[in-house]
Amino acid sequence: MNKGKKINPKKFEIGQLKIILILLPLVIFMGMPIIFIINHAFKPMDELFAFPPTFFVKNPRMDNFTQLMKFSNTSGIPLSRYLFNSILVTALTVGLALLLTTMSAFALSKIKFKGRNMLAQINQIAIMFVSTAVLIPRFLVVCKLGLVNNIFAHVLPLVAMPVALFLVKQFVDQVPDSLLEAAYMDGATDLDVYLKVILPMIKPAIATASILVFQQVWTNMETSNYYFDDDSMKTLTFYMNTLVNANNTVAGQGMGAAASLIMFLPNLILFIILQNKVMNTMASSGIK
Amino acid sequence: MEETKKMTRQEKKALKERLKHLKSGKLEKRDGRMGYFFMIPWFIGVAVFLAYPLGTSFWYALNNIRLTPQGLLATFVGKGNFSNILVQDPDFVVELVDYVTSTILSVPIIVVFALIIAMMLNMKIKGKSFFRLIFFLPVIIVSGPILGMLTAEGAGSISAIDMNAITSAISGVLPKMLADPISDLFNNMITTLWYSGVQILIFLSGLQKIDKSMYEAAKIDGGSGWECFWKITLPNIKPMILLNVVYTVIFISSNSQNPIIGLIQTSMFSGTKEKGYGYAAAMAWLYTVVVILIVGLFALLLMTRKGAYEKQVKRAKKAKKQEARNRKKIERRNVRNAKRIERQRAKGKITSRTTSREDY
Repeated sequence: MNKGKKINPKKFEIGQLKIILILLPLVIFMGMPIIFIINHAFKPMDELFAFPPTFFVKNPRMDNFTQLMKFSNTSGIPLSRYLFNSILVTALTVGLALLLTTMSAFALSKIKFKGRNMLAQINQIAIMFVSTAVLIPRFLVVCKLGLVNNIFAHVLPLVAMPVALFLVKQFVDQVPDSLLEAAYMDGATDLDVYLKVILPMIKPAIATASILVFQQVWTNMETSNYYFDDDSMKTLTFYMNTLVNANNTVAGQGMGAAASLIMFLPNLILFIILQNKVMNTMASSGIK
Repeated sequence: MEETKKMTRQEKKALKERLKHLKSGKLEKRDGRMGYFFMIPWFIGVAVFLAYPLGTSFWYALNNIRLTPQGLLATFVGKGNFSNILVQDPDFVVELVDYVTSTILSVPIIVVFALIIAMMLNMKIKGKSFFRLIFFLPVIIVSGPILGMLTAEGAGSISAIDMNAITSAISGVLPKMLADPISDLFNNMITTLWYSGVQILIFLSGLQKIDKSMYEAAKIDGGSGWECFWKITLPNIKPMILLNVVYTVIFISSNSQNPIIGLIQTSMFSGTKEKGYGYAAAMAWLYTVVVILIVGLFALLLMTRKGAYEKQVKRAKKAKKQEARNRKKIERRNVRNAKRIERQRAKGKITSRTTSREDY
């Protein structure tokens, strides 16, 4: 029986009631930010600045969005260019980061070689370091590599992500050694084991890591800020932020609210797509 | 066995020759090569964009960095930056103490909350995927600038509960050192809960890996749900707890909402003579040391104790090593003694051969 597919009970039973009663209020709290973002984007001007601030919108308008559209039409570079940059950069980074992360997580946790512990230690220390601290040296490195105004300056600094490696490695540790030994006995090489045993087993971790990486890349402004002079190479996040900051007046607030909704939606969509995978594969990969 | 007996001498020789080429440890070496192969791309990325900048930033922390038209101008000041931060800076130490207390207090809360929610989500209820979605969603918000907006609007605290009553009640009982962070915690209750999305997910995956038959066996033996939790659930998800604690500490520390990060950033771009990049780098290094200490503290508390079996194995290995060392020692002594006797014999001091060890 495939347990993973039948995770939800079909019928409502009275025994579930107490759990639902506990969960529901928490759900309301947890869902608040999302409701707030959506509401905020549709607020007309007078409600945005109302005091005390209101949580729900009373008479929703599309004002903020039309304003945003109008403004972006006046600037020289079309919005689609930024969008294209963002999508390309995000896709490249997420793909590369996941590849590197899973590969090195496999090596760090299952293959014995010299210096393995040291590399794991380096990773653990790297996690704890604040990324703002390496801002200037990183800029110098990017300059030296000649990556300024190159699309890879968006991608490369974010590809090796210690947090994701840490997370995925913990999941690879959970894969039983006997499973790998069985594969080796049947003549699998390390690459086979990586592709056919490890990757399917840690799918939930990959999904989680991909959400984290995606989010970090999508909301990242640092690279656009520091490594690019050319405006046409910058990302959507950067553009949205300048919109809000440049018109840090009354009009900017409305546009900012609309922009944050636009920036937030891809996150939501990706998560809804992936969440089923995250949860179900976790259940079905339960080898003890 | 029979085949080996039947082997002619020549075949045996050939086999020996073949075995000679296949040195012991070659397999391990090849295995290790694959390890390097898998690690190299990641390692290059880390070395270029993380390790090298980290090293440089440590060097900068020992210098006073000024941006001039000619480029970076570094004058060596040794530990000057560090002592300036610790002695003269009005904000850093205060913020750091605040950060440490609030982190140590809020990490257990986040982890326990995540565990409770994960256990509930692991039960059989209707609309499970909806609940999961909602509980994970905050993760994709808290990292963005939206959280700042939300807390500014006052969404971070539960307005329905009278916070002042709680705060005053706490500060009446506890000393101010402890009361302040705790009341802060109550004020930011919801923000704290928002941080627990990934942790819930990690716990869920751990819970789902636990063998269901273990619970059945425990129930047959008359174990209650409470006992099952302490004896089965908790030991099984222990590695997940450590993972979650570490993740939480790191998440809180490197979150953009953290005031210390703001402090580092402002001092990085401040134009005053003694501040600047070197100062900020020193600050970041101090901060990192504190974060590592906190993680170490939690890790010490939660370290999985090795099982009795592993302990015995370790002891046996140790004994074996000791034995080998002793054997070697004796061997070396023998050689030494033999040499000495040889020398003395050469000088003609000893004539009888029976004292030589070589005869044995």
